[in-house]
Amino acid sequence: MSDRGARIPRVLAIDAGGTMTDTFIVDEHGSFVVGKAQTTPEDESVGFMASARDALGQWDSTPEDGFPAIVSGIYSGTAMLNRLLQRQGLRVGCIVNAGHEDYLRLERGIQTYLGSSYSDRLHLATHFHNEPLVPRERMKGVRGRIDVFGDEVLPLRDEDVRVAARELLDEGVQGIVVSLLFSYRNSSHEQRVAAILEEEKKSSGVNGSVPVFLSSELYPMRRDLPRLNSTLIEAYAAEPSRTTLKAVRDITKKGGAKFELRVMSAHGGTVSIETAELGRTLVSGPIGGVVGGQALAERMGLRNVLCTDIGGTSFDIALITDGRFEITQTPDIARFVLNMPLVKIDSIGAGTGSFVRVNPNSNRPELGPDSAGSRIGVSWPPGGLETVSVTDLNLVLGRLNPDYFLGGDVDLDVELARDAIDRQLAGPLGLSVADAAAGVIELFEQTLKNEAVGQILGKGYSPTDYTLLCYGGGGPLHVAGYTDGVRYREVLVPAWAAGFSAFGCACADFDYRYDQTVDLPLLPSFGEVERAGIGTMITSAWLGLQDRVAAEFAKSTIERERIRFTHAVRMQYYGQLNDIEFISPHAALEGRAQVDDLIAAFEEAYAKMYASSARSPEFGYLVTHVIVHGTVDVEKPALPQMPEQPGTPPLKARRPVHWGRASDGEFVETDIFQLEEIRAGNSIEGPAIVEHSATTFAVPPGRSASLDCHHIFHLTDSSEA
Amino acid sequence: MATLDSTRRTPGQHGGIGWDGRTLLSMLEESESLFAQTGHYAGLRELEMMRSDPIGYEKLFSRLRGGLVSARSTALNISASPIVRELGELCFALYTPEGDSLALSTGIIVHVHTMSDAIKWMVRHRYEENPGIRPGDVFANNDPTIGDVHNADVQTFVPIFWEDELIAWAGGVTHVLDIGASTPGGVPVGPTMRYEDGIDLPCMKIGEHDELAPWHLERCRKRTRASAYYMLDERTRLAGCHMIRDAVERVLAEEGTRRFKVFSREVIEEGRRSFKARIREMTIPGRYRSPAVFDAEFSDKEQLPARARRDIVMHSPFEVRIGGDGTYELDYEGCSAWGWHSMNCTPSGMQGAIWVMFTQTLICNDKINDGAYFAIKTNFPEGTISNLGEAEGSTAIAWAFLQPSFTGFPRTISRALQARGFIEEILAAYSVSGNVQQGGGIDQYGSSSAIMNFEVSAQGMGAKYVLDGTDYCAAMFNPEGDMGDVEMWELISPFVYLSRRVKASSGGPGRHRGGSSFESLFMVNKTPFWELQNIGTGRVLSSAGLFGGYPGATAYIHNIHGADLTERALRGEAYPVADGDFEHPALMEIEGDSREYKNDGMTLLSPFANGDLYLSVMKGGAGLGDPLLRPVADVHRDVSEGHLLPRFAESIYGVGDRDAHRRRRLERARPTRDWVASERERILAQDLARPIKEMYAESMRLSPRWAAEYRGFWDLPEDFDFDVLTPTVTVARAQPGRTDPDDAADAFLAASEPVASTPSPGGGRLDRETLEALLDERLSRREVKEIQSGYKDADRFEKWISVLQDRVAYDDPIVLPAGEGLNIVRRRSDGQLVHRCDCGHDFCAHNRNWKMDAVVHVRESEEAILEVYPKMAGPDPTLQHLREYFCPSCARQLEVEALPPGYPVVHEFLPDVEGFYRGWLGREVPA
Repeated sequence: MSDRGARIPRVLAIDAGGTMTDTFIVDEHGSFVVGKAQTTPEDESVGFMASARDALGQWDSTPEDGFPAIVSGIYSGTAMLNRLLQRQGLRVGCIVNAGHEDYLRLERGIQTYLGSSYSDRLHLATHFHNEPLVPRERMKGVRGRIDVFGDEVLPLRDEDVRVAARELLDEGVQGIVVSLLFSYRNSSHEQRVAAILEEEKKSSGVNGSVPVFLSSELYPMRRDLPRLNSTLIEAYAAEPSRTTLKAVRDITKKGGAKFELRVMSAHGGTVSIETAELGRTLVSGPIGGVVGGQALAERMGLRNVLCTDIGGTSFDIALITDGRFEITQTPDIARFVLNMPLVKIDSIGAGTGSFVRVNPNSNRPELGPDSAGSRIGVSWPPGGLETVSVTDLNLVLGRLNPDYFLGGDVDLDVELARDAIDRQLAGPLGLSVADAAAGVIELFEQTLKNEAVGQILGKGYSPTDYTLLCYGGGGPLHVAGYTDGVRYREVLVPAWAAGFSAFGCACADFDYRYDQTVDLPLLPSFGEVERAGIGTMITSAWLGLQDRVAAEFAKSTIERERIRFTHAVRMQYYGQLNDIEFISPHAALEGRAQVDDLIAAFEEAYAKMYASSARSPEFGYLVTHVIVHGTVDVEKPALPQMPEQPGTPPLKARRPVHWGRASDGEFVETDIFQLEEIRAGNSIEGPAIVEHSATTFAVPPGRSASLDCHHIFHLTDSSEA
Repeated sequence: MATLDSTRRTPGQHGGIGWDGRTLLSMLEESESLFAQTGHYAGLRELEMMRSDPIGYEKLFSRLRGGLVSARSTALNISASPIVRELGELCFALYTPEGDSLALSTGIIVHVHTMSDAIKWMVRHRYEENPGIRPGDVFANNDPTIGDVHNADVQTFVPIFWEDELIAWAGGVTHVLDIGASTPGGVPVGPTMRYEDGIDLPCMKIGEHDELAPWHLERCRKRTRASAYYMLDERTRLAGCHMIRDAVERVLAEEGTRRFKVFSREVIEEGRRSFKARIREMTIPGRYRSPAVFDAEFSDKEQLPARARRDIVMHSPFEVRIGGDGTYELDYEGCSAWGWHSMNCTPSGMQGAIWVMFTQTLICNDKINDGAYFAIKTNFPEGTISNLGEAEGSTAIAWAFLQPSFTGFPRTISRALQARGFIEEILAAYSVSGNVQQGGGIDQYGSSSAIMNFEVSAQGMGAKYVLDGTDYCAAMFNPEGDMGDVEMWELISPFVYLSRRVKASSGGPGRHRGGSSFESLFMVNKTPFWELQNIGTGRVLSSAGLFGGYPGATAYIHNIHGADLTERALRGEAYPVADGDFEHPALMEIEGDSREYKNDGMTLLSPFANGDLYLSVMKGGAGLGDPLLRPVADVHRDVSEGHLLPRFAESIYGVGDRDAHRRRRLERARPTRDWVASERERILAQDLARPIKEMYAESMRLSPRWAAEYRGFWDLPEDFDFDVLTPTVTVARAQPGRTDPDDAADAFLAASEPVASTPSPGGGRLDRETLEALLDERLSRREVKEIQSGYKDADRFEKWISVLQDRVAYDDPIVLPAGEGLNIVRRRSDGQLVHRCDCGHDFCAHNRNWKMDAVVHVRESEEAILEVYPKMAGPDPTLQHLREYFCPSCARQLEVEALPPGYPVVHEFLPDVEGFYRGWLGREVPA
């Protein structure tokens, strides 16, 4: 290893999970280390420092020595999500339209089954309502209505607002959320409510100490329950998180850091911890990987990438098409429908920890939807599990090393797994233990394969158009299986697959994104003047959002000149409900010709996303949202760049492994390698297994893998190689 | 084009286009005859592929099903119509050449079998020869008498060929927003005859070479309102079918046709076996009855043609017989006649309802296919509302009958589940969705438009055994309920929502209350012309309670034309935005030119102007168990949370003095047999409301069996009939005959022959302690959900009996639970099997109706009904009364019936106790 001080850390990314905090530190050459420590929920800065110390320790450095050199620091964590799940947020009051005080009780009905497995979505008896974040008595209605055009139908009744304000302030609320219908179109009623709230706060003596959150300012997008939920989460869960983040920032400053700590946001960029919309950092974990995938695509010149991530409980898929990931506008998270742009990730409940059972009624094998989670499987007695997991199957097949699970920290008992598989699967299916285990894994991988291929086909593309990228702790073990027989352009497995999400966070731009619902039609009947007029309206909406972006950057003392703006819209065929997002060819739409360019860009994007049979230009178009991204340059990790040395890595061991059909249903002697011993340029011929404390990479017979100069494995069919 | 075609070989030119050169018709006939001969689908006694290659079998299933699911999710993005895009009213399926479904996507599973009927119809009518079935062809169907629920469900079919052989069919269905009926909407209220049901596509070839024919597109464009939505849905279905075809072709290329064919057969036979095994695992062989009624007030509807202007009460007998081998048999003998309204059903629609119900309860998984269809039997007698046959009635809102009628489903299944001890699955009846607001006219953008407000898909659900019913949650027709965002509805409809609020006392009372519902108030906005209509329930209760719980409330309409609400608002005054309390409707404060305020389940299209108010009151689910057993604290919480109007805490739940309540029950009640004797006089005197007499007359004239048992129960003369006209029934008088109900019960039991079956392997591990914790409601909601979602424990019945036995004061062995607080017990003193209350009171023999030996209190006056339901929420006593059956000793309320006067006491559960023990459990009935 290098001498003390020889490494200069430049980028720091922290992923504070529920149990472990990972720290990812990159030096100026793109080399990196990953540190780990227990998460400390009561004060996350403690776990963070321990994790950073662990990471820097690997370079014989310390936070005190290393922090001053760091230019970029990104935080992502689950604290806010946990606060929401455990209902440990602030005491909030809401002001909504009179008659709609039951929003959080009704929760549209849909929130009674969100997040359930398919069979439970059908299984009515399992549906249940969430405990509201705000009890009914703190939901206050005020009379007055704005309609879909933004016109006032009924005036706001000031008296209602005053009564609501007094009652809420008397109740000692810590924040007041205001979300009125169609405020994204016309915010005057919300503004008026805010003004009255200020007056009432003054007269009640809580001058300024009760923050007010307006949905029209924070999430000015159509859909009332998601908008209310998003704004509410801001007040309920995000504000307390700001305190946590400030503690982490302060401790970095104390360590001599000169960088400004940023947070990973749902839209795939990073934002300051001072941002108004901190709620957008609610989910960040799975996003990191996709952002990393986009970074990899950019640095390696890949056009289309299919990102696949296998964790213990789920298989996450995201598409990067033409170098960009997709954004979904109304995601659901933790049984809440939300109105915030989120990197589009599709997830199925199949992971390495998924339980495997034979349905006693039909005698057919079933995977999940529940999983062993951190309890691994029956092979780990302390977990106390009785049901076989996918991990158990891998163990009996020799694909996982019982003595080197998590680097040997956890002892697994293969015999326990074998017995359980015999009783629970092999017996009922009439197969041997090995055939049952290999068969169910094949089924598992087939499920993942269907899902991955389905995503691409659904867009009207073919797998040959995409490079498949595999990461996550469980990915490398199954990637050969779920890509078997599919002609992807290439299959890539970064050597640091287990830490890829943290890498991705470090790759994220410093980027604010603002969305606004506008609903501007471009109908076939429109003449030149009308089209140009719509162009002007879009342009002025962009300008408004640009100002908001600039205001956010100003909190980090960044001048407007340094901001690179991107202008995008969401647009749909008129009358359809499915809008898609794309970047406008022009930063301002001046005149009919530029509006026509926008339409052409939509048609192009639409054809990329869906089969061309779905095109309906005869309906005309509707620009539903305008979007502005503002980005400033920050230092990001480069890809590792190693000299390539052809050859074969040193053998760590050999053991019999069952490769299913690939080894004709037999156990075959298989080469085992240690990941750290493999040099750039080395190749491995399957059957082979590459072990690492955090992941296992399986290369079946007939496949081979070579490690490139960026420390990324290329998995190929041996015949091609 | 003709020359192009002639250059290649047309499939079917040399022999049939089906498998191995056979005709589709010969394939269908052979399949049917093999099933008839062997009882197995395609005559398959062995599932060879599944046995020898279980993994390969499952992989094939997973690939095919994956193709259907991704076709659906991609197609969803193409569709425009809000009900498809927002509410997922879309489904795809894959069929064998003769029309049996192999697998289904997610979505409206109601269509598991309807599209099958349509394909079979084409096969039977030799479409192979004329108009021909070729690669690239596109067919459409929406004819309910062929295979559909109502015209608004439009189906598209695409044949999947492989080397000149028709290997399978892809089918897709969407529920369209408007089908061009005589009144707007996806469930139009107005039609009274089929000529008014809108576009009809009776298995038409609508395209070739993968393209839709111009005539079809033009016809649909001109014949539907909001045709842009219709056209996009058309495109959606076709694109989805093509994606399925691509997916199947990939499978065929890789796996070969032979394997695919073997799989096709086995997966359906396996579906049939699994279904029967599930029935044996979860239920009890026996006869179950759960009749329901539904009403429509048409006599005052001047817009209707004269023939249709009559008030009707529809009778759904809902008898289920679970056979000894696990066959589920649904019998509508005694059902009302079809009529000149739009609520008529076809067998295909009835099948749809069966699948909707099963997939929400006993078989909620992704493996459902037509195999399950082969494990059930049905009797929907022709000429009834359940099967209008060739009659010319309309089927536009078949759901209006299906929904109330199938409230019998959860009730009957729940009796079986209670007997078996699967208490986590027990549900009282759902609420019948309503008020379904639909309308059309010129929208706020100046375009011709039609809308149907689907917020009705999130209603109050039935009470559970261990939990209250889920409030505002789902709908009978779609468990994935979603009322939609207000801003999305206002985007497509010319109105503003003034409220959407929880409605107190909408759910049925009980030990566990039914789920509450909500009400919405709309104000019409920015339209030059708009009309509205609604479907709800009016004057009778349809979601019956269970085990002593009450039905969910009915609803009412309250609309104000020329309302002064806006003027009040402009003056800065306070004004109501909802009706709120049933008994003190706040909107009475609003003045206007005219007001519609009444119980009316069916309003017809009438104009609404800007500023007019339209109230939509939704309905709550049924209650479960004796309300006096509801913890007082829960009752107080219901009041404070707005689920219960305060005065009912005392009048229903007796929070003040429950013993006094029980004493009062016994004072007011009288022996059932006494009541039966007096009610008999009333029937003989024909002293019933006219719609009720017509309802009985229709049932009796259509079904000699039902008539005979009706006369037998009431001890009426052999030739008794009601003196009313039944214009849609072909016979003028009911056939004479009389059957004693006890003889009918004995005959049923004598014929019931449970076959020995391998005991269910279960797979679940719920232990006795957890079962008790579940029963005592000490588990968290998440823990209950885990039990609901997991496999069932094989020995649940033994544990359940043992838990119950520990909790009763008597020592005689419990043989079979027969309801909450009621068991069939082996009385050691004389060796008889008797119905016994938990207090120790014995009613009668196990094969007799215990209610006949109970005491009953019949609520048949408005005053008596007002003790349970608020004004506007209870039934019209001339059409329906409430019969509360109590134990004569302890006054426990064991069951509540909500039926028309003159209806026989329902023998709800006639279990085949001996058959269950000897056949399914493989042991003798405890001595």
